[in-house]
Amino acid sequence: MLEIKNLHASIDDTKILKGLNLNVNAGEVHAIMGPNGSGKSTLASVIAGREDYEVTDGEINFSGNELSDLGPDERAREGIFLAFQYPVEIPGVSTTNFMKTAVNQIRESKGEKPLDAVAFLKLMKEKMKLVNIKQELLSRSINEGFSGGEKKRNEIFQMAMLDPKLSILDETDSGLDIDALKIVSNGVNALRNKDNATVVVTHYQRLLDYIVPDYVHVLMDGRIVKSGDKTLALELEEKGYDWIKVKN
Amino acid sequence: MIDTINLKKILSEEKDNNIKQIKNAAHEGLEKSLDSYKEEYKYTPLLRKIEKEFETLTPINEPIQNLDIYSKYVPKNEKYYILVINGKYQENLSNKPKEIQVVKFKDLKDQNKDQFLKTYSKHDDSKKDFFSSSNTINHNECLTFYIDKDTTLKEKISIINIIDSPNPTYFRKCFIIKKHSNISFSEEFINTSTKISFSNSVTELFLDENAKLNYYSVQNMNKNFHYNSINAFQKYNSISNFHTYSFTGEIIRNNLNIKLEDKNCYANMYGFYAIKKNSLIDNHTSVDHIDENSISNEHYKGIIDKGSNGVFNGKIFVRQKAQKTNAFQSNNNILLSDDAKVNTKPQLEIWADDVKCSHGCTVGQLDEDALFYLMSRGISKKDSISLLLSAFSSEITEKIEDENIKEEYEAMILKELEGLNHE
Repeated sequence: MLEIKNLHASIDDTKILKGLNLNVNAGEVHAIMGPNGSGKSTLASVIAGREDYEVTDGEINFSGNELSDLGPDERAREGIFLAFQYPVEIPGVSTTNFMKTAVNQIRESKGEKPLDAVAFLKLMKEKMKLVNIKQELLSRSINEGFSGGEKKRNEIFQMAMLDPKLSILDETDSGLDIDALKIVSNGVNALRNKDNATVVVTHYQRLLDYIVPDYVHVLMDGRIVKSGDKTLALELEEKGYDWIKVKN
Repeated sequence: MIDTINLKKILSEEKDNNIKQIKNAAHEGLEKSLDSYKEEYKYTPLLRKIEKEFETLTPINEPIQNLDIYSKYVPKNEKYYILVINGKYQENLSNKPKEIQVVKFKDLKDQNKDQFLKTYSKHDDSKKDFFSSSNTINHNECLTFYIDKDTTLKEKISIINIIDSPNPTYFRKCFIIKKHSNISFSEEFINTSTKISFSNSVTELFLDENAKLNYYSVQNMNKNFHYNSINAFQKYNSISNFHTYSFTGEIIRNNLNIKLEDKNCYANMYGFYAIKKNSLIDNHTSVDHIDENSISNEHYKGIIDKGSNGVFNGKIFVRQKAQKTNAFQSNNNILLSDDAKVNTKPQLEIWADDVKCSHGCTVGQLDEDALFYLMSRGISKKDSISLLLSAFSSEITEKIEDENIKEEYEAMILKELEGLNHE
């Protein structure tokens, strides 16, 4: 589904990704781990199409299409979803209105008819249950005055609404207490199926107790330096990232 | 200096002695009114541009020949409307509510004339502003809106001002809103010609005890220089809400001056501008807290497109007697391009010691993080920008109490935002 070859990316002439390779197939969950500043969030942003980053070499293929010429909106319509580490607060736009616009623009791009108010509300009610989010919260401005947990739940709610092929969760566990972590993880797990894939970007092993990965990759200095199964995460937790640095 | 010889002729033609006195006084003070021009028009070269385009300040005072051609400007969806062409009230093309009087000064009853003369040209900014001064001299008839006590109207009264003249045009209005009345007006100016025009409008509003006024202005007039001075004067426990929406105009200069003369007055000034097509829109406001325990709230927000200019200057005065004053002011701007420009200046002058006041201004760009967030959910760039900009405006439109007007204005803003260029 996702095929990243020799990806080089920089921001303001600072090289961040330096030849990254990654393959993700449908039905899989991949965890990307690594110390601060290793390029994890950059990778997430580059896949989602953030324009601040410049891809200087390599390519990203998604379901057979090269992504480099596509804007973030077009990538979302292709089925890529980024759950933000720091969800943005947007005063004056309600989540409901935002999601209605998003769902219908994605439907339109696939040649489907837009959902009417009743059908949209039904879909929303169904997905709200998944992350235990209240309608009242969704009628408010996007993320404005939300607690850390509410923001992350809102991200997973949006993911549920848009039903992406590939979900990238960028540090979704940061700022979450254990209860919120469970709710968010349960939501993500409920959305998993054989046709979609998830990439979990995280510092800590903790999240991986709840969202169990098939593969774990260690990202350091812009490249994946080690890959393995879920036991790699446990080993990292125990020995720290220095362990890999020393080995290299 | 622009031709002022004709002004004397205008003065000699005035028949009413009271008005003649007022006009003479304005004429004598005309030069003095230029004293503060340099500072007050620092970013708005209105006089220079007008001198370049027009040979005279004097209007043409001929009667309008064919009224029929103006009937297309009669609004279709308004219950009450007042049509004014080149400053002259057109009774036949208007539909005023029976509860209020709309009369030319000379047709006022004598007992109302007294009240009028207490108000007329008493609170305008003639002494301080050349254009108001020029309006006082040059306007031909002052249209008086007399709203008797205890008058409440649910529907707003829409005032349509038509500009159709190669010469400058002058509009002059006076509103007398008596005790316990509650009334709403909207006002717009339409330039009928494709040629550049200059319209100069001065309005005075008198709000008696416990009166309430909503006043809406919509400014969208491509090739027009427009000077608009609104001067409100409030008595005990009265409420005024001003809503100013501006989009295009060669140069638009708004002066909004509010005097809170009594205790317990409440004044709200809300403005939104989305300046485009190389327009310059300048909002100068002042609120003067003269007595204690009054509240004023001011919030102007604006978006400035490529090649356009915005100016905001807000003054708050709190006099020594005006203890327990609450006065707030804020101005926020988004520049859409490197060659969009705004000059904003909040000003506070406080002589009382027990007051709560705040002011501030911001100038920024479209929030790129928010834009990416919206786009990352599949919303096109164009629609994401529209969503963000209309969200930016919603803080102003949500202050409109009347749901119908709010919806109408939100739709209007959405339409205007579509024409903006984001780089």
